[in-house]
Amino acid sequence: MSDWSKVTRPIPVPNEWTKPFWDAAKRGVLELQRCQSCGHFQHPPYATCVQCMGIDLKFEPVRGDGAIYAYTIMYHTGDKRFASAVPYASIVVELDEAPGALLAGNLLEAEYTEAKVGRRVEVIFEPLTNDITLPQFRLAR
Amino acid sequence: MWDNRCKIAVSGVGYSKVSRMADIPLAAHALEAVKGAVADSGLEMSDIDGLATYPELPATGHAEVDGISIVSVNCMMAMLKLPALTWHIQVGTTNIGGAVQQAVNALLAGVCKYAVVWRAMHNPRGTYQNLPGAQAQGATQFTAPYGFGGPGQGMAVAYTRWLERNGQSRDKMATLAVTQRKHTQHNPHAYFYGTPLTREDYFASRMVAHPFCLFDCDIPVQGAVAIVLTAADRARDLKPTPAYIAGYGQRLHFETAGRIGSLSSYMEGGSSSAKLTWERSGFSPKDVDVAQIYDGFSASVIYGLESYGFCKEGEALDFIQDGRIELDGELPLNTFGGSLGTGRIHGLWHIIEGALQASGRAGSRQVKDANVSFVGASAPIVTGTTFIFVREPY
Ligand SMILES: [Zn+2]
Repeated sequence: MSDWSKVTRPIPVPNEWTKPFWDAAKRGVLELQRCQSCGHFQHPPYATCVQCMGIDLKFEPVRGDGAIYAYTIMYHTGDKRFASAVPYASIVVELDEAPGALLAGNLLEAEYTEAKVGRRVEVIFEPLTNDITLPQFRLAR
Repeated sequence: MWDNRCKIAVSGVGYSKVSRMADIPLAAHALEAVKGAVADSGLEMSDIDGLATYPELPATGHAEVDGISIVSVNCMMAMLKLPALTWHIQVGTTNIGGAVQQAVNALLAGVCKYAVVWRAMHNPRGTYQNLPGAQAQGATQFTAPYGFGGPGQGMAVAYTRWLERNGQSRDKMATLAVTQRKHTQHNPHAYFYGTPLTREDYFASRMVAHPFCLFDCDIPVQGAVAIVLTAADRARDLKPTPAYIAGYGQRLHFETAGRIGSLSSYMEGGSSSAKLTWERSGFSPKDVDVAQIYDGFSASVIYGLESYGFCKEGEALDFIQDGRIELDGELPLNTFGGSLGTGRIHGLWHIIEGALQASGRAGSRQVKDANVSFVGASAPIVTGTTFIFVREPY
């Protein structure tokens, strides 16, 4: 299993578009930006709805169940902050409730070889600092 | 069909030396390539009146220093002091193919007569992707904390989706790497000229970001290439046989910042650009005699072959087998070696080769009787462009 204990993850810096996402994650809730006109969920947050040009966008909770849309196993150690964890799985997850909104994560609590396209995963939360908690994923239970 | 097809042509082409690291500044490479292209055309530098480039430094986290790590239009103007200069531009919404297209438009508009386009690529010392420190700002706040940002990862995620959804094996990609390296041995300007590659080498090489091994990634180099474009009637008076531009296109699919790994975005980007190119030129994939498709990472060729319409989705790795992409095959592909053979110079070298094949100037790698020459320059997702060059105007 990838050893994440010595990894120094870069800390996300919330901005005016993304702060609600990180505030929710800190509470252990996954919230995504949703268009109040057409109901479309999108991620990363964007200035307007990419489906209908709506500008009334709010963050709403979504269930953290989804499938691995795509992944890569990282072997390259050029990024010293992550070198101690290679090989590790960086995954892209499509949530059941938010098709098209792709979330990045790592596959935690499993061998990196378990990452496969279409495999069911669920969100877990990894506190990074007092202010920032990272949504992450493990195999669905 | 496009009213302006075959009205503009590529004339001369030029190259700098390509090396891993260089003791001279990047501006000197760009100058060498531009001088080479002008001389190849049989023109004097004082004839040049248009300049265009895409100066981006793709190695992230390094300082952009004009003349050292990028070569802007301003830098080129300062070096050349062109007495006849009437037009210039730097593009941003497309890679270097967009600069070529803007030069075509300027020539059609009659605001310049002989335009030079160059692409200069710097290889910084240390790690190519010099990743940011303790904080992840902007779009990277959703990717960098998960270790996304190293070489090829953005491309690799789409590739795993393509492989697993289509029940395909990365082993088949060895054919692309080995065939292109074979083509490279006909291109003395290429970084890997004189260095062959076997299937065994491919399978024994270290993984970078699964499914990419070392030989799926173009090697960062320092170097520059350049071309001269001019109106068809002027091109016919110059030294080289002209390569006429029959049509071009650019990707129209948009992508929100920070979205990662979407295979459908590669496909939609490529098909939107190709559709314009087929419609403008009147050709279709089955008319193409030779193709150059951007291969900064090998999987780009899959997305290109499929989204441009050369084969069906899910079939590209089967399509490239059985000699089809050899110089005497059904669709000779990346005949100059591609970026995997020349080193990482982005898409202008693909455009150069497309023009050389159309004008019959590709030497020992010339595809016999090539008339319709297709180019997909840059990865189709964000900055892609497509072109068709022909030998016979119509
Ligand atoms: Zn909407």
